[in-house]
Amino acid sequence: MSLRSNPRQWGSVAKFFHWTIALAIIGNGLFGLLRDLASSPMQKINWMALHKSIGITVLALVLLRLAWRWYDGRPREESAPRWQQWGARAVHALLYLLILAIPLSGWWFNSVTGKPLQWFKQFNLPALAAKNDELRHFAHAVHEYLFWLLILLLVAHVGAALKHHVFDNDDVLRRMLPFARSRNPPSSEEDRR
Amino acid sequence: MKCLTILLLALALPGAAAATDYTVQADASTLGFAGTFQGEAFQGHFGQWSAAISYDDTDPAQSKFDVEVILASARTGDSDRDSTLPGPDFFNTEKFPKAHFVTTGFHRDGAQMIADGQLTLRGVTRPVSLKVDFKPQGDDATLDVSGTLQRLDFGVGGGEYADTSVIGADVQVTAHLQLATK
Repeated sequence: MSLRSNPRQWGSVAKFFHWTIALAIIGNGLFGLLRDLASSPMQKINWMALHKSIGITVLALVLLRLAWRWYDGRPREESAPRWQQWGARAVHALLYLLILAIPLSGWWFNSVTGKPLQWFKQFNLPALAAKNDELRHFAHAVHEYLFWLLILLLVAHVGAALKHHVFDNDDVLRRMLPFARSRNPPSSEEDRR
Repeated sequence: MKCLTILLLALALPGAAAATDYTVQADASTLGFAGTFQGEAFQGHFGQWSAAISYDDTDPAQSKFDVEVILASARTGDSDRDSTLPGPDFFNTEKFPKAHFVTTGFHRDGAQMIADGQLTLRGVTRPVSLKVDFKPQGDDATLDVSGTLQRLDFGVGGGEYADTSVIGADVQVTAHLQLATK
């Protein structure tokens, strides 16, 4: 498996970004939604400190991922009806947008509440906006509703990937799986690439 | 006759060396503190406190500070923090409504005047030394006092809150007093 993507496979760097960001987002979503299960105020403070640290990490990874995607390109699109190809592109673009916007809105929410933003107890990041009690609930709602929108898009994203895998028997899912081999051996033409 | 002389001396001596008693102009005076939370500094102040100040810069042995602080009047500009501070894990104001500082002596460290005293906070009494900067202004004066406390010495933010990687161990205390001669 090469670092870079080729027409048939996502490269290992692209796969690394895809799956670490996916895991971090799901874990952080649970952290955020289940924060009130913390057994004490201090545990909640520590959970939210982790939530914020992971969110900042996701933001950094997304920026690196976009830079890599721009440099690396992507495997060719499978033949599919036009509306499906455009649908896939639209969902992918929105997913990229949301995984940028969700950590940024969290950063903004944290700023208007006037809380510190510390990355795994290592260093602090500046506020994006001044403390503003009137924006507190609005900023929180933006942060949370963007997450629910992401979940909605993920249903489409995962559903489409499974549909390709199960019904179309193509490589759309396999070429992004870590360690998976493609169903169809590469043609000699592509081997030479 | 000998007895009378001693009595007269005893009465006269403290008077002869008396320090000036001052009234604190509350509107122009502040009692503040500063700590850190998650790597970021925050400032707070006490809205309600009183101080009896007697001071003589040339004969500091005659000086005395006696300060009482209503702990529930602490404000830091963060509603979460301000609602937590009076609670049992921090100041525990229900059981210990006031903090009290009284000087036991003064000494000079080079040119810097230091007030040594006992601070009682949250039921714990410990020696605390504070830097003193006294500036006469005619009959009046300003008094700036500062020092650093270890919050855990007094059990402020104990239990789970004792984690100093989240809430810093040091708390700076600063006071600016505008004094008027009584």
